[in-house]
Order: sequence, then C-alpha cells, then structure tokens
Amino acid sequence: MRTNRMSHLASAVLAVSGFIIAGCSEKAAVYEGEPGVVNVRRVTETQYRNTIADVFNDNIEIRGRFEPEMREEGLLAIGSAKLSVTPSGFEQYFSMGADVANAVVSEENRSDLMPCEPTAADASDEACARMALADWGQSLLRRPLSEGELEAVLQVANNVADQSNNFYAGLSQGLTSLLVSPDFLFRIETAEAVPGKSGKVRLDGYSKAARLSYFFWDTTPDDELLSLAASGDIHKPKVLKAQIERLATSERAEHGARAFFSDMLHYDKFATLTKDPQIYPKFSLAVAESAKEQTLRTMVHHLITAERDYRDIFTTRDTFLDRTLAAVYQVPYLGDGDWVAYEIPEDANREGVLTQVSFLSAFSHPGRSSPTLRGVAVNEIYLCEATPLPPANVDFSIVNDVSNTELRTVRQRLMAHSLDDSCSNCHDLSDPVGLTLEHFDSIGQFRTMENGEVIDVSAEIKGMQVEGAAGLADALKASEQVPSCIVQNLYAYGVGRAVEPSDNEFLNQQTKAFSKNGYRYPALLKSIAASEEFFHFEPLSPGALQSAAQHQSQGPMGGQK
Amino acid sequence: MSRKFSRRSVLKGVMGGGGVGIALPALNMFLNGNGTAYAGEAAKLPVRFGTYFWGLGLTPGRWVPEKIGEGWEITPELQSLGGGLEKKVSVFSGFRVHLDGRPNLQHWTGQGAVMSGLAPTKIGTFDTSTFDLQVAKAIGGGTRFRTIHLTPFGNPKLCYSTATGTGFNTPETTPLALYEKLFGAGFQDPNSPDWSPDPSIMVRQSVLSAVTEQRKALLSEAGHADRQKLDQYFTSIREMENQLDVQLQRPAPAQACYIPEAPPETRPSGRIDRVNNANKQMAELMAMALACNQTKVFNVVHTSATSEAYLDGDSKIYHLHTHDEPVDPKLGYQKVSSQLAELSFRGYGDFLRALDAIEEGDGTLLDRTLVLGYSDTGYAKIHSTDNIPMFLAGGAGGAHKGGMHVASNGDPVSRISLTAQQLVGVPVGQFGVGSMMTGKPVTEVMA
Repeated sequence: MRTNRMSHLASAVLAVSGFIIAGCSEKAAVYEGEPGVVNVRRVTETQYRNTIADVFNDNIEIRGRFEPEMREEGLLAIGSAKLSVTPSGFEQYFSMGADVANAVVSEENRSDLMPCEPTAADASDEACARMALADWGQSLLRRPLSEGELEAVLQVANNVADQSNNFYAGLSQGLTSLLVSPDFLFRIETAEAVPGKSGKVRLDGYSKAARLSYFFWDTTPDDELLSLAASGDIHKPKVLKAQIERLATSERAEHGARAFFSDMLHYDKFATLTKDPQIYPKFSLAVAESAKEQTLRTMVHHLITAERDYRDIFTTRDTFLDRTLAAVYQVPYLGDGDWVAYEIPEDANREGVLTQVSFLSAFSHPGRSSPTLRGVAVNEIYLCEATPLPPANVDFSIVNDVSNTELRTVRQRLMAHSLDDSCSNCHDLSDPVGLTLEHFDSIGQFRTMENGEVIDVSAEIKGMQVEGAAGLADALKASEQVPSCIVQNLYAYGVGRAVEPSDNEFLNQQTKAFSKNGYRYPALLKSIAASEEFFHFEPLSPGALQSAAQHQSQGPMGGQK
Repeated sequence: MSRKFSRRSVLKGVMGGGGVGIALPALNMFLNGNGTAYAGEAAKLPVRFGTYFWGLGLTPGRWVPEKIGEGWEITPELQSLGGGLEKKVSVFSGFRVHLDGRPNLQHWTGQGAVMSGLAPTKIGTFDTSTFDLQVAKAIGGGTRFRTIHLTPFGNPKLCYSTATGTGFNTPETTPLALYEKLFGAGFQDPNSPDWSPDPSIMVRQSVLSAVTEQRKALLSEAGHADRQKLDQYFTSIREMENQLDVQLQRPAPAQACYIPEAPPETRPSGRIDRVNNANKQMAELMAMALACNQTKVFNVVHTSATSEAYLDGDSKIYHLHTHDEPVDPKLGYQKVSSQLAELSFRGYGDFLRALDAIEEGDGTLLDRTLVLGYSDTGYAKIHSTDNIPMFLAGGAGGAHKGGMHVASNGDPVSRISLTAQQLVGVPVGQFGVGSMMTGKPVTEVMA
C-alpha cells in the first residue's frame, strides 16, 4: 500500500546532503489509507521512569511493580506493540500514578513543579488547576489535551478540592487520572490526512515527535518537539534534520543508548537471574546490577562519548569497574567506592563486551557455563541469526552427565550432539561459538581447567579456525553480519515492529551508510531517523475501522468455545 | 483527532460519588433503609476455583495409581496427597495434547493446551484466552478481586492466565506482596461491627470515570489489533471499578474469615524447600482470601515449566536433571529427577491442605473449592505431551466426586478443563479448538 515513495536514491541524497527540494516534505512517508490509530505500544518501565523524571523531577520516587515485558524477534520494543494492561497491571499503574501525583503536589515539590500558585490552598482554583493540568498533560500524553479531556480532569480536580477543602488534593486526583489514561500508558500513534492530498495519510506531527524522542532519548518529547508538531513544521525536512541533530547531540542521548542496549542485550534477564550460592558464593544482586552497568558504561563511552567504531566493542580494553566487580574479576580496585575507568591489561585474557560478567553470567546455567546458551546469544544478539527450537523426544543425558568418566569437559559432552543429525544442525552453529568462551565460568571468572582437564577453547566457526575469546572477538569484528544486525535491530526498535523482507533494500542501504561513516553509532541513529522509513506505519485501509468495530462486538472472548 | 468528552457524564461520575471529606450520610444511597445491605449474599457459601501448575510433570511409572476408579492408592510421587486428602482428589492419567500439526513447543505446549484449549503456535503466547477467566466471569462477581495470581517461585513472568493470548496476568511473587494485595490498603474486614464506606473510594471512582470517558472515541479510531489491546486496558479499568463498587457495600459477614498476620519480607529463592515454604505461606493467605470473600478464582504457578528449582547443595537445577540424568538401570527411573518431581508436586498437596484446614459451613474451605492441578509434560526427559498429569481436588460445593482415578487412552487434556468449568457452574457446553475441541466432560467425577 505504499505509494508516492521517493526512490531510495533520492531519499539518501536528501538525508546525506541536506538539500531541501520544495515539495519533498509531502512525499515523505505518505501512504494511502484512512486517518486513525495506527500503532499502540505500551510504554516500557524505563520510558515511564524517564518520562516522570523529565516532566517533573528525578526526586519523584516510583514504587511499584511494572508488568513483565515481552520479547519478540529479539526485542522487547517489538513485543511492546503486542501488550496491553492486565487488571493486576492496572492496579499497579493506578497506585504508582497516585503516588507520583501526591509527590508532585507535596509541599516539598510543589514550589518547583507548579506553573502557578492557587489563590487559596483550601479551595478549588480553576485557572491554576487548568494551567497545571494542561501543562503536565501535554508532556505526559505527548500532545495537547483536547478541551473535553481537560474539562474531565478539571472536574475531578475541582470537585475533590472543594469537597476536601484542599486545592492540592484535588490537583493530585486530576493528575492521577492523566497518569492512568491510555494516552499516557500507551504510545498511541495516529495517522492524519495529508493536506491537499485526498486519500493520503501520514503520521501526525505529535506521533513523529514521540517516535523521535523515544528513539533518541527513551522519553516523552520535550516542549520544542511538541511545538514543532503543533505548528506542523516537524514535517519539513530541514526542521526535522535540525531536530535530529539536536536530539543526537543532547546529553539525553545516553538514556536512549542505554535503553536500546538494555533491550538488545536482554537485560531483562537479570531481574530473575540466579546463581547457585554453593558454587558461586561471590554472585549476588549487587554483582548482577554492577555487571549490567559495566557493559552499559562501556557501550556509552565507546559509542557515544568516544564515537568509536561499533565493531570494536568486541575488542575494546577500555571499561569501567566498581568495587563489587573488581572482586569478581580479581583485579585491584583503585576507586573510592564509585565507578572508575579501567583499562584491561594486554595479558589479562579478556577484551570486549563478550568477556564481561554481564554477558557471561546472563547466558549460563545457575551452576555451570553453557557454550550452547552463549553461542545462541552471540548468534541472536550480534548476528541476528535465530536458532530453531530443539527437537522433542531427544535424550540429552550424555551431554550433561558430569559423572561420565569419559566425557569430562563440557566440550566433550557437547560434541556428543554431533552424533545425532537432528541435534547437530543447530548445535554446530551455536556450540563452537560458545566453546571459545569456556575459559569463563558461569559468573565470568577466568579459569583454565574443568574437572581436572585443561579446557580447550579452539573451535571451527563457519569454516574458520578460531582460538578462544580473542579469536571470537576478531571473527566478530570482521563479520559483515555484525554491522547489518545492529542496523536491523535499531530500525526495528525505533519503529516498534519486526523487520520484513520488504525492508531489506532500506536496511542494506543503511548498512552501507553505516560503513561509510566508519561504523559510528550516532551517525547510524541519525541516518535511520532521517529516512522516510523511520516514519513508516501500516496504514488503515478504507473500511478497517468499520470491520474492527464489528469484530469487537463479539468481545475479547469471542473466539472462545 | 479530538476525543470528545461528555461533560454531563463526567459530572455524573464525580457528583454521584461525592468526594474526600464528604459527610457520611450522603453515602446512604449505597445502603438500604437501615444501612444493613451487604455485598453479595450472606447466607450462601460461594463455590471457588483455582488452577495449580508445577513444572516438569511427574515421572512415568512413579505416579499413576494402579487402581482405576474409586479408592486409588498412593504412589511414590503422590505421597503428598496421602492421609485422607486423596479422598477429595481425582487423578487423571493418559490424557494428552492433540497437536493438530502444530509443533510440540517444549515446556509451553502443555500449559497452553490445558488453559486455552489448543496447542499454541508460538512460544510465549497462547492462541486464545484462558478458561480461568471464563470461570471468573461466571462465578467471580461480588468479590474485590475477580482473580488472584501468585507464584512462590518469585518470577513475575510465571502466570498462564491471559485474556488476549499475548498479555499474561502478573502474579504476586512473595508472601508479603500477596498479603499486601489481599489484606493491605483497601481491605475491609467482613466481620467488623462498625463498618462505614471509605470516601476515598469514590474519589478513585471519579478519577477512573474521567478516563473511561475516552473509551468509545478511542476505540472507534483504531484498527482491529490495536483495538483489542485498548479494549483489554479498558476491561482492566472496569475490573477496578467493580472492585470499588464492591468496597462501597457493606461486606457480608464471613464465618471462616480472620485476618492473618503479615508474613516477613523474604527474597524469592529457587531452593526447592524454600519454594515450598513460600508456597505454604501463600496457600494460607489464599485460604483466608477465599474465606474472607476477597476473591473466588486464583491461579498458582509453583515452578516454571523449565523449573530452575534445585536441591540444597546441588549444582544442577531440576530442568537440567530431567534432561541429563540417565535412567538408573536398577531403579528404572531418574532418581534425582523423581525426587524433585515429588517435591515439586508437594506444593499442590500443601496448597490443598491449607484450604482443607479451614472449616467453613458444615465442611472445609476445600469442600467449597475446586483446584485443577496440572503440568506441562508427561515425561520431561523427552518433552512428551502424552500422559500429562492432571488432578481435580476439592468438593466444588458438592459437585465434584473426589477419590476417583480416571485413566484415558489419549483423550485430549481439554476434557479435564471442560469438566472443571462445568463442576464450578460455568454454563459451557464445549471447550477447545480443532481435535482438542470436546463436549464430553469426565462424568465419572461428577456427583
């Protein structure tokens, strides 16, 4: 259903050169269809937290539990478009919203956060409540409130204020209803008719502003983006380009990078990661938290602060340590309790993010390392290669029997897979990759022996002889799939859907640009955001709303027999 | 894209509800003339329903009783049902998942088939909603919570109840969290002599009414998939509104209800004895939640289908054992796996005992309840979805005839799910999709 697309070449020229050709703005990401809601994504926990911190301040404590997110095609960002809010989840949002609202109007915070002062604290003040709720509402809902919406929350605020003789109690309730509204808890993207083009739709300005803001900053759009959405200027390529530059170079870009890598690297795993305390007494919640933080700091420093080649994340010796992690790595800690920059010595047997505790511990069993889990993770996360499910009805005993006197090491036991074709098809792809990391145990500590045998970390990966973690790092650094995979992930993350074969041409073109830019991450972000594909959406076909309404009348349990 | 609000209906929402600090006489509209109206019916004891899942099934040859029909004997892995409890439990052996050409998604197909009535096409989602919510719809009214979900394992992703197939309900993960949900803020003691409605409830109602005003306009603008998500969200709000409605009515006295003490704060642990301790604490809390009419429907997940539970001092988790451990040639089964199977299934027995310990009316709480016990696999070692162990426990208010062992030769597991629904009074004639669709409940266990 895509029409009127400019050629990829033209759009590339536009993005790179910055030339603005009159009329081009109307061609960008315009589709045939009906206006309406085209995408609904539940906000993630970090988006919720970042938004509250940005709209109010970061003293507002958010206590409560967020509903689990769902990973699809490798990313939570894709799963977020499938999720709704369950009854227990709504209860949590309600109590978090009420807590946030109470904190915002508390005596401690109100002088900083209120845009006005009520004429009296013990009665309603429509003008001040209106100003505050309109102001906060626009930031929370990522668009101005309609007069009707504002009236509704004002009614709540005024009534409660009058009946409780407390302006702030009323305001708090009005704010609570904004904080539990669907337009806050979901990022609702809408398509609007393109002026002067009958039957054509595009993402409206506010949806574009939000897409940009969450992509670069993982938070709600700021006032500047919202005002450009209001004026419609955001649709102009020149304005858009300037905004992209502003977003990419802002300090907040670090939030965006942290959010993206937390998603791509499966950091939700850490919420439930456990290690057997008998075997790994050193592992604790604190270690898990520090491990995540170390890798995020490494990524942010490498990619954003120093703007280095993305492929060097596998070999970089520049990282950060705190006291907790220094103990696991068994290296001296020279800081005063906080994080310090740390350069890994050349002879340390470690380099790059795959030898950090976060990766090594997340993809291991509680009591032992797992070359299969690690191999699958490398393939999925860094190479975008999905692994099929293992076949049913397979006897795994031989693989994992540590008491087997002939098969002492994990390697020997895993090699037994190759005896069975149905196993070897997949294990031949994952296990060699993981075997090169066998010098690291389940929590990432270095070792050279397992059950009295010297660990062999050599492997053949795709016909290449690879030796240990350093060999794997070099192989990944040289792999063409590594850059194309992050391009794919970043695009899917930004638009909130899995990539499709029809995206291949665009992705290839972006990968080429990434290469041309020396694999610099900020340049990649900007290049994706500047493309017309970044504002891609699946338009509502004529009649879609009608048929959805009919479908709905059967109720959510309609299919249930 | 303006979403219009009706000013009138907003006013109605707020004014009808009063607000903070309002004088109490204004609330009399919620009560009858002399203020004695109660939520629900006081005299009749309700029927309750729960599901109880534990991961990795049971060991072939170690659990199926030899005796078919009434008076089945205790087997090694069913020890926890002994001591008379077995008279209240029906055992179902030989039931299986009919895949209809779909893949056997390891550690996922089993629970999907039992709960939603067909083998799911994808790991992580079910193809349709789960039947516990149908039960809640039918019998869950009049209580504060339509359903309660919990797991003593501590992982917030462990719940197999879903209205949409994609978003699963979130369980309480520690005894303290469960306590706070049930008996913390918002709990009203049904036996308190000096009940009065809490004005803050009406404030909350007005907050919600400002949100639900948007429902129609928003839904009319969305395509099918987005509409489903938004509709689920509004259903969740409606559920909270129902809760608030219930709380504005004087609760009916509940003879078996007493308010438990708050359990200490604990960190979830995968050590099986700790999981089982948390399970017992949560079972006692749930027993009181039922006795105090806080809910009538619950879902428990003891351990995940890839159970990470472990024995104290053992480096391997249960799931690894099931795949690693060779069958002991002398014993004819996997020794450690069988030990862990018995310990995991013990969670179900302990849960039932906690309900059976509460006297209510002329029997026990368990006699008024039906708890479906089930797992994901019939033989974890090879991920089999044949002979998935299933149980129905409790009297369901006299409808369920316990103490039976029903052996099948490959009937779909959906027959048990259908039986459970009918036993607790859901007006449903058939359940399941494709060759899992069945209109035949297991009548042998129907009183």
